[in-house]
Formats: sequence, C-alpha cells, structure tokens
Amino acid sequence: MKVFESSCTFDYPWANVSVANWRKYCAWNTQSTHVVAVDTLSRSVDPSTGVLRTERLITCKQSAPRWLMKFVGGTEESFVREVSEVDPSKRTVTLRSTNLTGSNFVSVQETVIYSPDPIAPESKTLFRQDAQITAYGAFSRLCGAIEDWSVERFGQNAMKGRLGFEAVLEMSAKAFREMRSEEAKI
Amino acid sequence: MSASIDPECSEKKERYDTCFIKWYSEKYLRGESQTDECKDLFKEYQICLNKALKSKGIDAMIEEARKTSPNNDNAKHG
Repeated sequence: MKVFESSCTFDYPWANVSVANWRKYCAWNTQSTHVVAVDTLSRSVDPSTGVLRTERLITCKQSAPRWLMKFVGGTEESFVREVSEVDPSKRTVTLRSTNLTGSNFVSVQETVIYSPDPIAPESKTLFRQDAQITAYGAFSRLCGAIEDWSVERFGQNAMKGRLGFEAVLEMSAKAFREMRSEEAKI
Repeated sequence: MSASIDPECSEKKERYDTCFIKWYSEKYLRGESQTDECKDLFKEYQICLNKALKSKGIDAMIEEARKTSPNNDNAKHG
C-alpha cells in the first residue's frame, strides 16, 4: 500500500469554497481535463443533523501505459464513486472517493476535507487530501510498479485539481462581485 | 457546469445543478434545509441518467459499491 497526502490553504471563506466545490469540474477549470463528466446519483439531508449527503459518479478519460492497460483490462474510460457530506454546523465538507473501474487490480481510496483554516477561520479554508493506493496480485514487483505509477499519476492530477479549483474560486468570486454591483445599481 | 455521462442528459443535469447551487448557497448554508424546490428537476434528470447507466452497464457496478461500502469509508483515517 502507498499513501499520498497533500494539504493547502485557499484564500476564500469556507462557505464560498463549499459552494465552488460543486462547480469544481466546470469550464473554468481548464486543468482537470481528465474529468469528462460528473453525475449526481443521490442526494439527501439528514433531518436530525442537517448533514447533506451526496453520491456522485465521476467519469474520467485518461491514457495509461500499455503494460498497465494489459493488466487492468484496458478501457480509457474509468469511473469513480464519490460520497460527500457537508456538515454546516461544524463547517466541514468531506469527500470520499473510490475507483469502480479496475478495482480488482488496484484500489484507490481518497479522502478530501475542506474546513475553516484554524488561524483565519473566517477568511481562509484548509484543504486536506489523502489517498491510499493498494495494488492486488500475485507478483509483488508488478504490484509495486502499479502502485508507484498510480501514486505519481494521482499526484499530477491532484496538482491540476488544485490549480483548476483555484481558477474556479477566482471566477466565482468575480461573478459574485459583479452580481452585487448590478444589484447595487437597481 | 460539468457534462453528464450521456450528452442526452446534460441539459437536464444543467437545469438541476443550477437549481441545486442556488438552493445550497441561498437556503442550505443559511440553515433553511427543509425546502426542496429542485425535486422535480432532479427526478427528470434521474430518469435520463438511470437509463444511461443501465445501457452502459454501470448501474451494477454502483449497486455493488453501495453494498460493500455505503459511505466509501472503509479506508482507515487517523
């Protein structure tokens, strides 16, 4: 098993980040081109806790090396199931994702948490991400190679995701400011 | 907004997503989570989406994942 971890701070309040999170893979994100579709499978609010639970299907298209395609059954389209929970009283967004495609060979379990930055809780948001990557198989060298490749690719995609999300946050803030100034004119 | 897995559903998805984001930012985050004004748009989108998932055979994959790990929280996090 290999573990990937990263964290960063976004210079936007938690509420804004939590709204923009739903738009993470929109046209403003020109970085995460491997995500081709995001569909909502189910959504509900727990009446006692107020927690919003959302289940989504994320469709990705990304090429993989030929040696790897041979083992995982070689389709370019792959699917990820994400279950997220928004807790408005604690101000957290937790997203848990698992790969549906190729899960007999490699399991990728990712957790992302957005929460107010402890130093500047009203203006900044902390982003924490970790992933556990485990390859299954009889040949440990091959498993090691699959895990290494997966961790590397995961890191590249995570970097693109952060840059792309930064752009979404900036555009959202701009759109919001314009909407406010339009309202002020009326 | 991002596309749907089936281009046929993208327009319905867009209408639902727009409704949801408005509800999320204007109602939900302000503590008014009881309303459900996007219910009909969601239903329309789901009819289209479920058809697409079935024809692509993804529905079985999702069902299986739901059974094994309803909340995807099998991984240990410290």
